[in-house]
Amino acid sequence: MNQDVLRIAGLTRRFGATVANDDVSLRVRPGEVVGLLGHNGAGKTTLVSQIVGLLRPERGTIRVDGIDAVADPGAARRRVAMQPQAQAPIDGLTPRMAIEIAGRIRGLSSRDARTAAAQLAEELDIAQWLDQRAMPEGRGLSGGIRRLTAFAMTVAAPTPLVVLDEPTNDIDASRRRLLWAAVRRRGDEGAGVLLVTHNVAEAERIVDELVILDNGKVVASGTPASLRGTDDNDLRLELQLPPGGEDPTTDPRDLPVTTLRLVRTGRRVLLTVPAGEAAPAVTWATTLRDQERLDGFALGPTTLEDAYLSLTQSTPLEVSNV
Amino acid sequence: MSEQSTITEQASHPQAGLWSSYRTLLRWQFAQIGSMLPLIIVIQALLAGGIIIGFGFLIPNIDSATAMFLSTGAPTVLLLTIGLVIVPQGVARARTDGTFNYMRSLPLARPLLFAADLTVWVIIALPSVGVAVLTGWLRYDLVFSFNWPLLIAAALLITVMATAVGYAIAVSVPPMLAQLITQVLVFFVMLFSPITFAPGQLPGWFQTVHDILPLRPGADLLRAGLASETFDASGRDLLVLSVWCLAGVAITIRALVRRH
Repeated sequence: MNQDVLRIAGLTRRFGATVANDDVSLRVRPGEVVGLLGHNGAGKTTLVSQIVGLLRPERGTIRVDGIDAVADPGAARRRVAMQPQAQAPIDGLTPRMAIEIAGRIRGLSSRDARTAAAQLAEELDIAQWLDQRAMPEGRGLSGGIRRLTAFAMTVAAPTPLVVLDEPTNDIDASRRRLLWAAVRRRGDEGAGVLLVTHNVAEAERIVDELVILDNGKVVASGTPASLRGTDDNDLRLELQLPPGGEDPTTDPRDLPVTTLRLVRTGRRVLLTVPAGEAAPAVTWATTLRDQERLDGFALGPTTLEDAYLSLTQSTPLEVSNV
Repeated sequence: MSEQSTITEQASHPQAGLWSSYRTLLRWQFAQIGSMLPLIIVIQALLAGGIIIGFGFLIPNIDSATAMFLSTGAPTVLLLTIGLVIVPQGVARARTDGTFNYMRSLPLARPLLFAADLTVWVIIALPSVGVAVLTGWLRYDLVFSFNWPLLIAAALLITVMATAVGYAIAVSVPPMLAQLITQVLVFFVMLFSPITFAPGQLPGWFQTVHDILPLRPGADLLRAGLASETFDASGRDLLVLSVWCLAGVAITIRALVRRH
């Protein structure tokens, strides 16, 4: 009964020698928001382009709400609404006209499309721009309002599957919060949402599941909690190195604490340690700071960002127990 | 207002009817091109003036037969300029900024996207025939003898052909190359096509080339529609123009439907 609104299996797509999608499998159930995370060039946009029939997969299957999207892309497109990463073409239109047009194209009556536009403007707090015309060369409406309009166009009429490719780009912090809530609401109302983003920290709060893509491959998937660490008892120790300073974690034997995971990113070193070793960890870090080998440190609960960085680092620095 | 051919697949996945989608798309396209419309009309008027008055300066003591030839060729140049230059530049831009793929990801039959675009361009292009005729009349006091059915058919066919071929170029080659090709086409249409001058002025082999290309046949058909007492229409010209028209439409629709 509760069939997946999106089921991708063994999807492979190459561009010349580059494997953009390498045997990718994922699923989105109704009512679920699934985040697709990955660096630039990880293959996210290639993946979503195949769902809406802009690209043809080399191998693998895509089913949208039970429809074979590779064999019948036209029927699949009626079941999925996508907000692409590029801005929607709304020059010459007001947000109200654009949302109404999008609703009409998806089969809403004129009256329902009007209602949808008014409601979405309210939900996303863009009512004051609703009748302001977008002009060429980015005049008339700001990038953020255009992006929110594009989101509203995508969800103007309900579809089983909603695909959002970086929907928060250019949007200010307060409306970003409204947008995240709106995305979550679409899931709660029964749609399946595939959310492509690199905004790990913000996406974490609204997604049910995450799929992490790196170099075209799925490197991890699961709930945010399961990806964050083995359990929620782990802690994250962040060491801030001074410019040009030597990394005190280079030799694993120097570490006085059990390190479950270790990630270096710029001048930051992120260690995941068991909660029980909080005291020795703090002592060690304090000593390092006193010796001026650190600019500072912080100890807190593990975040998804740590997991994400460690999963997508080209040379994983997993450190087992010493 | 009849809502015909409403295809409802399943109650939960409604799809707008073809006619209703087409009208919605027209509204969308007009809004987008609307801001450019005054500029296009000004350019068309300037171009008409440039061809009819400017080319006239090149010919000393222009006689009325030459003036008639020039003035009845000008509308074709204007229609071809829109279809072969302005349209592909717009499509190339749409491919670069993501509009092209945005539209293709909508739940619409993709040929419908082309039909709506074509309609918009035909509506934008057709007034230029009037602009050119008016300029010729004002400059040379020409007396036209309209064959309305032929005039309308020829103007429509030239516009659809030029738009379809222009579209086909823009969807078949990389956007940068498409921009370049259109620049070259302007010169070819204006200077190397027997539209505003008699084919006899070209070398024999080049005349033969123009028997196969759609430019001279289109111009001659439209000319016969504007001055039916002076010029005759030929069935072969109609055939050549129609074949190019169909080829342009076929290539464009294939490119719109295709997944790379």
